[in-house]
Amino acid sequence: MKDAVVIGAGLAGLTAALRLARAGKSVTLVTKGPGGLHLSQGTVDILGYAPDRVAAPLEAVGSLPAEHPHASVGAEAVGGAVSWLAAELGPDLLVGDPARNVNLPTAVGSIRPTALAQPSMMAGEVTGGKTFSVVGIKQIKDFPADLIAGNLARSTAPDGGALTARSAWIDLPARKGEADPTPLTYARAMDDEAFAATFAKAVAAVAGKADVVALPAVLGAKRLDVWRQVAELIGTDVCEIPMPPPSVPGIRLYDALLAKVRDAGVRFVQGSRITGFESDGDTVTSVTLAAAGGPRPLTARSFVFAPGGFESGAVDVDSKGGITEPVFGLPLTASDATPLIQSVYWGPHPLFEVGVRTDAAGRPTDAGGAVVHPNLYVAGGLIAGAERWREKSGDGVAVATAVRAADQITGGSR
Amino acid sequence: MSEKSRNERAQGLRDRLNNELQRMSLDMCVKCTICETACPVSAVNPLFSGPKFVGPQGERFRDDEPVDHSVDYCSSCGTCSVVCPQGVNVAELNSLARAVMKAEDGVPVRDRMITQTTLMGKAMTPIAPIANAVLDNKLARYAMEKVVGVHRDAPMPTARTQSLHSWLKKRPKPTKQPTRGALVYFHGCAGGYFEVEAAKKAIEVLEFIGYEVLVPEQGCCGLAEQSNGLFEQASASVRKLVKQLRTAGTDLTIISTAGSCTGMLKHEAHQILGIHDEELLDVGTRIREISEFLMELYEADELPTDFQPIEMRMPYHAPCQLKSQGIGTPAADLMRLIPGLEVLDSGATCCGIAGTYGLKKEKYETAQAVGKPLFDMVKENTDGLAACDTETCRWQIEKSSGVKTIHPIVLVHQAYGLGQATA
Repeated sequence: MKDAVVIGAGLAGLTAALRLARAGKSVTLVTKGPGGLHLSQGTVDILGYAPDRVAAPLEAVGSLPAEHPHASVGAEAVGGAVSWLAAELGPDLLVGDPARNVNLPTAVGSIRPTALAQPSMMAGEVTGGKTFSVVGIKQIKDFPADLIAGNLARSTAPDGGALTARSAWIDLPARKGEADPTPLTYARAMDDEAFAATFAKAVAAVAGKADVVALPAVLGAKRLDVWRQVAELIGTDVCEIPMPPPSVPGIRLYDALLAKVRDAGVRFVQGSRITGFESDGDTVTSVTLAAAGGPRPLTARSFVFAPGGFESGAVDVDSKGGITEPVFGLPLTASDATPLIQSVYWGPHPLFEVGVRTDAAGRPTDAGGAVVHPNLYVAGGLIAGAERWREKSGDGVAVATAVRAADQITGGSR
Repeated sequence: MSEKSRNERAQGLRDRLNNELQRMSLDMCVKCTICETACPVSAVNPLFSGPKFVGPQGERFRDDEPVDHSVDYCSSCGTCSVVCPQGVNVAELNSLARAVMKAEDGVPVRDRMITQTTLMGKAMTPIAPIANAVLDNKLARYAMEKVVGVHRDAPMPTARTQSLHSWLKKRPKPTKQPTRGALVYFHGCAGGYFEVEAAKKAIEVLEFIGYEVLVPEQGCCGLAEQSNGLFEQASASVRKLVKQLRTAGTDLTIISTAGSCTGMLKHEAHQILGIHDEELLDVGTRIREISEFLMELYEADELPTDFQPIEMRMPYHAPCQLKSQGIGTPAADLMRLIPGLEVLDSGATCCGIAGTYGLKKEKYETAQAVGKPLFDMVKENTDGLAACDTETCRWQIEKSSGVKTIHPIVLVHQAYGLGQATA
């Protein structure tokens, strides 16, 4: 029997599995698909808006309402968890300070606060007086260089200063004859130094003078220093701007974390859903893996449930608006979605705050605060109280609650 | 061609593609592109526009229109369905679409030949030295490529002079009395004729830990026919196999060393061929891949683990059709119980062969490009051997890396001190 089964391989599940394995625990990590990292920016948000733009995320965590998952973990523990993850991944993948947000340009030219980012993105920090040259690749459809430059040029930097930005394009197929290449196709091509050099030469020819050349985030899938090579060849700082899925920076984080988890001896089971559980009284004894050829019980002493939120199907809304958590049937903060969906698209939607209540240890509780299963912990998007996409808090919640769950299981030992 | 007209056959398959429950899974696709990032074929060949593009994306608009022919580049490795977070049956839909296409356009003679695995075994075993010499002959392989369309450098099985059943008849009866009851052993075509040593060792391991091993006469599961779009033939093969396996008992666990054929019985015949028989469901739920079974014993503290050490590095590749069973990589877990054995996961998606895909002259280069990271990994990390659970993948790895590649059970056999060392 394993010490723990972790369900879900998003940022929360991977973090929990790694933290448990580092503490010497035997772990099975089970997941249907890879989690949300492939669709993410490849950065670690802690708190971006509350509701105004946040400059010091840990400080801002202190003033969140008590029901917010960050408040339940506490600013110090949130910072500690994020720093631990950054140290695990190392400065080739994540840099920055959890106490201070950086403001980075997005793929539509807006300005987005985040806490940790990849080193290839950092030169893009939006500060007053900076000049951007945004260079697109004709073959890549999801990097509208003109829109990005146009929006940056008409924006004011968060420090109040003005910005200059212009756009340029290169025509460089990654593979001959391919009509609709994904960013990953280019990133794989950049793993070859010769292609990256050809790319840099083409960019240098059109970029013009600028403080920073902003490029689609395709600078290498496996080779993490492509951005340095390109910057040296161009002779100007470069920054990667994350793109819509498939997200190369997100895939880098996923690949690195999964490799660490597997190297640490974690059993990895992918492709089957967890559909239910067995218990002895309130104690969960196994979860049921719906494998090909029939159900298989996965037994363990403790369980970390990190299935994501609505967007992952971890919280289900039926056609009549009924809200349920389908695996454990956990009590949720609301059972009817109808009054929680607002008519204004960009407005706050309380539905997204619906989830599982937890005690201070991260165990699901009912409305009265009683723990439902003493050996079941939840981590990440399933926890109630955060509208993660609006606040830009999802990564921080995932990491902090995953570390909390793991440390509860190991008794805080590392 | 059988009595059914080509049009009828195509229409029947198209109705399944258009109407069956798994088509509902199309609507679960959120276009997240995760399947496209994981597809080993589109990563190396831009002519394949990817599992989402030809599958959930294109399929919605297809209805009675012709199938996008680039689906023929899909190798049926099944990775797209494994990684899909939303539960879309991407690979299953694309397999059906390819069957429709082949029913409409006709199936090359080559594809009908290379799917006859049992026939190959039966024909080659009595003349093994000659068969092997022919398959090793450059001129013969060149002619085979020109005439049949099997690439001259593609891996071929090695014929053995004795089939598994012939060995079973001639060997001395086991002296140890079974202490744990009986199991049914499913060896697959390869275990019966080409990978006979691995099959023998699997039987000896199961007997050593206390089981009586029943080996009924058995044919092919039809997987190769299925992946070549020959659904009628594949359905007949798997139905016959199901009956054969049930002759040995209807309540015994069935143990298999044929990783992909296990997947055929567990889910593919149901999901891709659309067979909903009770008998198939019965066999599909009783069957265990051998490492999966031994790890289930281990989890229940019922597996003897007094293994003798094997001091070496062991690159291990988990085949696609084992990964698609959604049970993790039990062979890696099992081998890690052997002291001294340093099991190194390949981390590679696919070896490229995908059953018969990598044999075809027009797919050979794609298959080699798919497998290249794996071949490099094996070469860099080997102490003389590599391990993998399925036959055609072993032949592919061995041929392309030059490293002898064995079934993990061979190492378990050695670690239990049974017979001569391989490693």
